[in-house]
Amino acid sequence: MSTAATPPVADRLCRLTRRETLSGPYALLTFEHPESASASAGQFAMIQPEFGYDRLLRRPFSIMETDPDAGRFTIFLKAVGPGSRGVFDLREGESARVLGPLGHGFSSPRAGENVLLVGGGYGVAPFALFARSLTRNNASFRLFYGGRSESELPLESELGRRGIPLTLSTDDGTRGERGRVTAPLVSALNSLKGSARLYACGPEAMMHAVARIAAERDLPCEVSLDPWMGCGLGTCLGCVVWIQSPGESKPRSRPACTEGPVFDSRIVVWPDA
Amino acid sequence: MSPSLNVRIGALELKNPFLAASGTCGYGVEIAQVVDLSTLGGIVTKGLYVEARDGCDVPRIAETPAGLLNAIGLQGVGIRAFVDTVLPQLRTHDTAVIVNVCGETVDEYAEVARVASDAAGVHGLEINISCPNVKTGGIAFGTDPSMTHEVVAAVRRVSRLPVIPKLSPNVTDITVFARACEEAGADAISCVNTFLGLAIDVESRKPKLAFGTGGLSGPAIRPLAVRMTWQAARAVKIPIIGIGGIASAGDALEFFIAGATAVQVGTLNFSRPNIYAEIEIGVRDYLERHGILRIQDLVGTLTPRRVEAAGP
Repeated sequence: MSTAATPPVADRLCRLTRRETLSGPYALLTFEHPESASASAGQFAMIQPEFGYDRLLRRPFSIMETDPDAGRFTIFLKAVGPGSRGVFDLREGESARVLGPLGHGFSSPRAGENVLLVGGGYGVAPFALFARSLTRNNASFRLFYGGRSESELPLESELGRRGIPLTLSTDDGTRGERGRVTAPLVSALNSLKGSARLYACGPEAMMHAVARIAAERDLPCEVSLDPWMGCGLGTCLGCVVWIQSPGESKPRSRPACTEGPVFDSRIVVWPDA
Repeated sequence: MSPSLNVRIGALELKNPFLAASGTCGYGVEIAQVVDLSTLGGIVTKGLYVEARDGCDVPRIAETPAGLLNAIGLQGVGIRAFVDTVLPQLRTHDTAVIVNVCGETVDEYAEVARVASDAAGVHGLEINISCPNVKTGGIAFGTDPSMTHEVVAAVRRVSRLPVIPKLSPNVTDITVFARACEEAGADAISCVNTFLGLAIDVESRKPKLAFGTGGLSGPAIRPLAVRMTWQAARAVKIPIIGIGGIASAGDALEFFIAGATAVQVGTLNFSRPNIYAEIEIGVRDYLERHGILRIQDLVGTLTPRRVEAAGP
């Protein structure tokens, strides 16, 4: 995984400086947190509004954008349960408890490799930050962004505005190609010349499907796993994933928060396998 | 003069009575990046067996009202790997290191205790006879007084370090177990581990945790743990370390007044690893306001509401 120098992790109360509501349960939130403002793509932060007895734990959010000069970072958020709802409901100027940046992000592609990013639903978030470094390095890349329907692609215009080459798909055909995100991915791979590298973040079934496609073609692939996380520091051991590296006789359980969340897909032992 | 927070747990002197509970601070080193460990009286490691263990399948944790249900299953690196690779790093921090000792058999407890005791930099042994999330050992030793006695005595025989059994709250009368520990030579008692619980996903009608049942911790259990601390403290002469849902200085004070000589913060380490500074400031402020010079003078000072009352 990424071996770039990692910024120190900091746990502090910090201000929400900007809040942009997108359609439905989606929002973009920007926090003042200098350490997380130096995060690399694929890293995350644990965020909790003020302490509350009915949501004891912080929730993990992928870092979608950083502004190191201003000491700020942005998350893309979907309110799904009480934890994410509490963060969603924060207003500009209010404070939240932020721990970050955490985990290991995506590793850099090799020069000349075609980079295919696969984002499902709100799993697309870290690819906004990743696309920035890929662009900076003149990498050839494309983002396959899929959801169940058009309403699950709320970041389309935001990603388009950044000049990220997008291929959209929805299960119901309301936006982009009809069907799973893996269909246009396979088409693209079939017509691709030269070496390629895959990165996936989204629902587990989608990441597993991308991992299979990569394995069939013997392509390197990284997936950002998202099990239920309790602490982000590797202490609760709630978010373990099963990993089996070449030469190991049996899978080992490893915390996704500290050893991931990004893993080489070839060593992941998928739960539905 | 600033009140003294020093306490003694057997032969072990702690600079303050605030410890991080087993299973909530890893091996200490994991939280050292965000917490100054020297501000803690001590840390109690994740439970250690002789060998490394992978623990339960996921999901392992579920949030419940004011609580956390977990079935991790004592995933750990094993005592030798801890001593060889983790302890040298942990020792560089100025805090007491208490090893949480696990075993599937009495012999295994003794073996883990022996290895830990031989290692430089271990200051105490907490005996885990109360984990509800393993199929062999664990809570079985903590819910039968004669087995509790046997395990504690076996560890006592192989170690000069303070021996601190961690009691299970999943018993009818905790004083029976507190006495069994004292009689077997324990130096102190950790009170309490998690309460056996079950959370259900109603859509699938399956348990929320892969293991099925789990251990409940967090503020939800605090009054239960305070009551058990109070009962245990009156039943034995050895010190009690109170544990259960501490989330503020006021919460910690309840345990001291109930009879705890020290306290452990558990679940709150996950979301508020820096809570110790806040607790220490609050406790110091309380002691000053009440003119109490030493925290130990607060221990067990619960005052009955009515003289004739049978209860507290």
